[in-house]
Amino acid sequence: MARMKFLCDAERCIECNACVTACKNEHEVPWGINRRRVVTLDDGVPGERSISMACMHCNDPPCAAVCPVDCFIQTADGVVLHSKDLCIGCGYCFYACPFGAPQYPQTTNFGSRGKMDKCTFCAGGPEADGSVEEYQKYGSNRLAEGKLPLCAEMCSTRALMAGDGEVLADIYQERSARRGYGSGAAGWSVAYGQHDRGSPFAPGGPSTGGA
Amino acid sequence: MLVKRSSGKAPRGSLLRALSGDFNGAGNLESGVSRRGFLRRSGLAAGGIAAIGALPAAMIRRSEAGPVLPDVELVTRKNVCTHCSVGCTVIAEVQNGVWVGQEPGWESPINQGTHCAKGASVRELTKGTRRVKYPLKLVDGEWKRLSWDQAIEEIGTRLLEIRQASGPDAVFWLGSAKFSNEGAYLYRKLAAFWGTNNVDHQARICHSTTVAGVANTWGYGAMTNSYNDIQNSKALLIVGGNPAEAHPVSLQHMLRGKEHNRAPFIVIDPRFTRTAAHATEYVRIRPGTDIPIAWGLLWHIFENGWEDKEYIRQRVYGMDEIRAEVRKWTPEEVERVTGVPGSQVRRVAEAIARNKPSTVIWCMGITQHTVGTANVRALSILQLALGNIGVEGGGANIYRGHCNVQGATDFGLDVTTLPAYYGLAEGAWKHFGRVWDVDYDYLKGRFGSKDLMEAKGIPTTRWFDAVLARPDQIDQPSPLRAMVCFGHGGNTVTRMPEMIKGLEKLSLLVIADPHPTTFAAIKERRDGTYILPTCTQFETDGSRTCSNRSMQWGEKVVEPIFESKDDYTIMYLLARKLGFADEMFKHITVEETRPVPEDILREMNRGCLAIGATGQSPERLKMHMKHQADFDKITMRATSGPCAGDYYGLPWPCWGHPEIRHPGSAILYDTSKSVMDGGGGFRARFGVERNGVSLLADGSYPKGSEIEDGYPEFTMAVLRKLGWDKDLTPEEMRVVEAVGGGKTDEVSWQTDLSMGIIRVALKHGCVPYGNAKARAVAWSLPDPVPVHREPIYSPRPDLVKAYPAIEDRRDFRLVQLARSLQFKAAESDLRGKFPMVLTSGRLVEYEGGGEETRSNPWLAELQQSMFAEINRKDAERLGIRDGSWIWVHGPENAGRAKVRALVTDRVGTGTVFMPFHFSGQWQGDSLRRNYPPDTDPIVLGEPVNGVTTYGYDPVTFMQETKVTLCRVEPA
Amino acid sequence: MRRILRLLLLAVLLTPVAFTQAGAQLYQTPGPASPTSKEQVPLYTPQTDQLIGRVSIPDARSAVLIQPEGREWRSFRSHTLKLVVGGLALGMVVVLALFYLYRGKIRISAGWSGRQVLRFNGLDRFAHWTTAVSFLTMALTGVVLTFGRTLLIPLIGHPAFTSLAETSKSIHNFVSVPFIVGLLLIVALWARDNIPNRADWVWLKCMGGLMSRNGHHPDAGRFNAGQKGVFWTVVLGGAAMAVTGYWLMVPFTGVGIGGMQILHVIHGLLAALLIAAIIGHIYIGTVGMEGAFDAMGSGEVDENWAIEHHRSWYEEQRRKGYVEDRQPAE
Repeated sequence: MARMKFLCDAERCIECNACVTACKNEHEVPWGINRRRVVTLDDGVPGERSISMACMHCNDPPCAAVCPVDCFIQTADGVVLHSKDLCIGCGYCFYACPFGAPQYPQTTNFGSRGKMDKCTFCAGGPEADGSVEEYQKYGSNRLAEGKLPLCAEMCSTRALMAGDGEVLADIYQERSARRGYGSGAAGWSVAYGQHDRGSPFAPGGPSTGGA
Repeated sequence: MLVKRSSGKAPRGSLLRALSGDFNGAGNLESGVSRRGFLRRSGLAAGGIAAIGALPAAMIRRSEAGPVLPDVELVTRKNVCTHCSVGCTVIAEVQNGVWVGQEPGWESPINQGTHCAKGASVRELTKGTRRVKYPLKLVDGEWKRLSWDQAIEEIGTRLLEIRQASGPDAVFWLGSAKFSNEGAYLYRKLAAFWGTNNVDHQARICHSTTVAGVANTWGYGAMTNSYNDIQNSKALLIVGGNPAEAHPVSLQHMLRGKEHNRAPFIVIDPRFTRTAAHATEYVRIRPGTDIPIAWGLLWHIFENGWEDKEYIRQRVYGMDEIRAEVRKWTPEEVERVTGVPGSQVRRVAEAIARNKPSTVIWCMGITQHTVGTANVRALSILQLALGNIGVEGGGANIYRGHCNVQGATDFGLDVTTLPAYYGLAEGAWKHFGRVWDVDYDYLKGRFGSKDLMEAKGIPTTRWFDAVLARPDQIDQPSPLRAMVCFGHGGNTVTRMPEMIKGLEKLSLLVIADPHPTTFAAIKERRDGTYILPTCTQFETDGSRTCSNRSMQWGEKVVEPIFESKDDYTIMYLLARKLGFADEMFKHITVEETRPVPEDILREMNRGCLAIGATGQSPERLKMHMKHQADFDKITMRATSGPCAGDYYGLPWPCWGHPEIRHPGSAILYDTSKSVMDGGGGFRARFGVERNGVSLLADGSYPKGSEIEDGYPEFTMAVLRKLGWDKDLTPEEMRVVEAVGGGKTDEVSWQTDLSMGIIRVALKHGCVPYGNAKARAVAWSLPDPVPVHREPIYSPRPDLVKAYPAIEDRRDFRLVQLARSLQFKAAESDLRGKFPMVLTSGRLVEYEGGGEETRSNPWLAELQQSMFAEINRKDAERLGIRDGSWIWVHGPENAGRAKVRALVTDRVGTGTVFMPFHFSGQWQGDSLRRNYPPDTDPIVLGEPVNGVTTYGYDPVTFMQETKVTLCRVEPA
Repeated sequence: MRRILRLLLLAVLLTPVAFTQAGAQLYQTPGPASPTSKEQVPLYTPQTDQLIGRVSIPDARSAVLIQPEGREWRSFRSHTLKLVVGGLALGMVVVLALFYLYRGKIRISAGWSGRQVLRFNGLDRFAHWTTAVSFLTMALTGVVLTFGRTLLIPLIGHPAFTSLAETSKSIHNFVSVPFIVGLLLIVALWARDNIPNRADWVWLKCMGGLMSRNGHHPDAGRFNAGQKGVFWTVVLGGAAMAVTGYWLMVPFTGVGIGGMQILHVIHGLLAALLIAAIIGHIYIGTVGMEGAFDAMGSGEVDENWAIEHHRSWYEEQRRKGYVEDRQPAE
């Protein structure tokens, strides 16, 4: 079975924010909820790179591990979903998530954040696929229609990729080999574990840069 | 943990395609997220295949996701993004007349499914919570609702009063690069029938200098190659452009070129942009020193003999005069003026000279200068010297701004010309008289005089000067008294404090726009403003031309929302009220009050011969949109299907009648292809000889040409000389004679409405416009050889004497100050009071004046406040923290803006950068309450043009937005 | 953990920096270390630091690209917290059970006198029970949130537990108000009498006589050292709980995600400590000692109990005339 993953190629990402607005558009995400965001590191100096980040749908999701009400679900495709019916808005998943993915309608209200919201890999929620109820709570379910997340489908430079992790890793590695350099797939080892896929890597190992 | 089982629903559409063998492995790996590739390898596909095997085809349908209602028909419509000029296909899913979903347009050869932040959010435009909902009128500072009939009646009456009292030239018709081609053409026609050349649009402030510079060099004012073709480039030089923010989808092609060809990717810019972040070499120059850097590169090229000598001999006129000028730009002088070390300039020169074909890409960093046209010419000459024009992977890839700024320019929304660059001379008017089927004398009668009919109008950069001018300062009978403004922001021209004075003095202001624009929010104006709710291009249909000259037909996605109407209808209503609708729409079907855009395009096809906008019939354009998948993603040529052989969108010139099936010209001036394959040489536009030197090409000609040398443009006289006049059919001959009216020999390919001359030229493998040399020396321009001139408000007063601005002059019916102002500024030590350089530019989330995009919550959330970028060291010195409020003061009119500081190394020390999309705040005050109710954009901010200053290009009156002086203080 | 942290990657950046700077180049030629086949391309490069960049949205949180501390917090929340809370509470119960087996209920060695001495008036008792009930409520609801997933969901199912957890969470938050009120009251009422003195040292040295079966108890004032310990534990611990708790209720005020994680850890560890302490307190106030409960029950204690446990205080009460003179026994 395929394991759904995101991979952002920092060599390609130009911080155009298409992924962000595509997400807003597809799911009618309200103001203040950023299921996806683009972060620019080393802004304004040579070496600047931007990376699009959302829920990485980890193999061993920390959010699910810490959820006091056990509201997370991992689909057979490896997509991490959650049930807003079960969520109590405690915020623990935000503490645990390495990627800052969980979002809350209110963040400063006394004691209440509202139901957590996050990237669903365009796979809706636990409700019946494509139901109106599912859309209202989680946005649309593209995966059930055989489509991939819109953020990746619309990425202007094909920096953000989504799909079967094996395929993505292939594409990324082939791309890097072709251009002769790569800066690593953002968040990959955190989300999927170092042994999840790919070539052996020793810390401090071979440089990947072209001169 | 709970486990949700995959529903295993059959993936529709895409999978079927995959199964039918439409799968290209390498291409898919490249495009990365292709779901076809993914699905094929994944379990989903396996499940899907099984499902398809088991289910009848009818059951494979879209699931009823989201706001999509079950059991309601879902219609898919194809339009084109209305933001920048890349021309991304937008796929809209419509249900019950509501646009409910946006899907990637995978098949588009241009964007291949992708979008930027703006494109991915266009669906919001038709939700339109902040749109103008009904006609409005400003009465004593209050907005009053009107009916359409009432609005048109009142506006028309007042226009006619003004015409009666002050003549037709007292009205300024400001059109839009957001029009469709048909809208742009119709608006130009409207102005012509009204009787004025005071009709302009955003190209004036965008790429007018490009059009002037490039057209004066090799014949046509447009991007020579295409975004896709950059994938063939072996080196990319980006000067004065930030496509990563302004044209994000173009980066897809640029980065592929960079990666696949391992091409050097060089960015020359005062600012370390998001594009520079991906550069292999970044060159920081002082703002306004583009010619020195171009000549500095050329100095090394000439010095080392890297130029393409054979190309220059065959195809370029006047390169020796350039050599003489370039010789002055030694590495030392270049470093003194631009601040770029000589070794870096040499490295860049070698990179672009040794990795050919190399392309040069530019944008408004080149054009928006007092030397805009000269900048453009310098870069064009650089490419000519390297032999890169007319070559795959080379070219001058000029990224236009708005979605249809190329088309609106082509179809004449310009104060200097009628559609298709025919100019304003009597011959041009007579040509369009024939196209429109109205008497020349009727047209002449509409104008104040024949002189005014043939005189360039007032450009949009100066309209307020023309309102405020004393009669002796303006070369027309009356200053401007009214402005009719379709689709144009009010914060886009420099010197806003004076613009506001002009706005206050206008007796009538009509705004036809989806959004109220800055014009509506200026508090000084309390009466006599009308707002007509106009729909976007998603609510109507028509064609638009992308930067690469491809025309794409946009299909109406939904009906105009609220009470809005489309441009065509509003123009018709105005024309009807003004009394010339019958003549104007003589050959255009009007359904109720809506002219049919297909008919308008057919009329354009009949008349716009000069740019080859004749083969793009509505039927062909629609066919291209339908069969996008057949086009190659790099060459843009259809390999199969009904469009086989055509280039996508029939990039002009697409010669002759649609029936002869010219494929369009993907690359201009490309002699490696035959003319019927889109090839050509440089245009013979400037005569055949100068100072005893031939201007025609020497031994260079498009493949398969029967004339194996240069030749002038085709006229009947030329045809006769060649003996090819016998190839004309009797019917064509009859038209030629009718056009010639006794002077048949003078009928040229541009005026022969039968298109017989063109057909015959093509038949013999010749380009109708001739085959000439490009002009390195453009003797008709103020600076025939581009020379460096310091900006008016130069941060280097010490260089002003050596590189002075052009002398004060008079053009476009107005006075243009330059050198006097520059010397005054240099002598008065303005630099002491305003020690920093202010430059401006674009953000990816917003577009143009920004009213539309700042009203879109999905975009507005991403940029919530106007800011100024300041270097870390400057901020430290001035005691400014990141995110704190600052005042930016300008040297003119006590201009100032209160904005947030963005402390960053993107700008160098001494430079301040501000984006130009903001408006709705003015010198610390919010203008929110001045907008009509519920139409105020979500995000407001100070316009940068409250601070920008005087300075205009002498050729086009392009404004200087990229270099002025400023002072920054903590607020 | 360290190793995981080191592998916490993130894209970037060392390589491209080298590439771009050294890469001021004429041709893009691959260097000697450049991959020539895709097998040589590592999928990720290691990165040790938390990565903070720039975002245009005015939300500093979203500028943090990756926060590796989440992993440590996760392990605290999933394992450490449960172990500490459960371990301390259970440990205390076990200790008390053993103690009970060893010592049994501590009797009033002189037997019930039948005479009552007023120990805590209404206000005292109100303050105590306000604090006590709100503490217990919060402890219980906190325990529900901590252990419910493991213990309750299998029993009552997800939906029911969500209702319970949601209610628990609200209760936990709102009951903090009476807790603070109670806390302030007991400070006002009892702080003076809980200032440690020399006698406490004596009391501590013989462990308050708890271990001696002969009924000898060291002398004590109104509160003995043990009670003072409970008092200060509750006051200081409770205050710290309140501070961390309220801070967590206004997320991202003055702290980032890392700070909130630390606050949460403090809150959890203190809770474990307090729960254990209170279990001991409850034991000694109820089954552990004869006559002790009356102090907070009716407010009046048996005279003999008072003499045995708080002789100094009893004497003082007598001097002040709050206690009727004893009739001579003879």
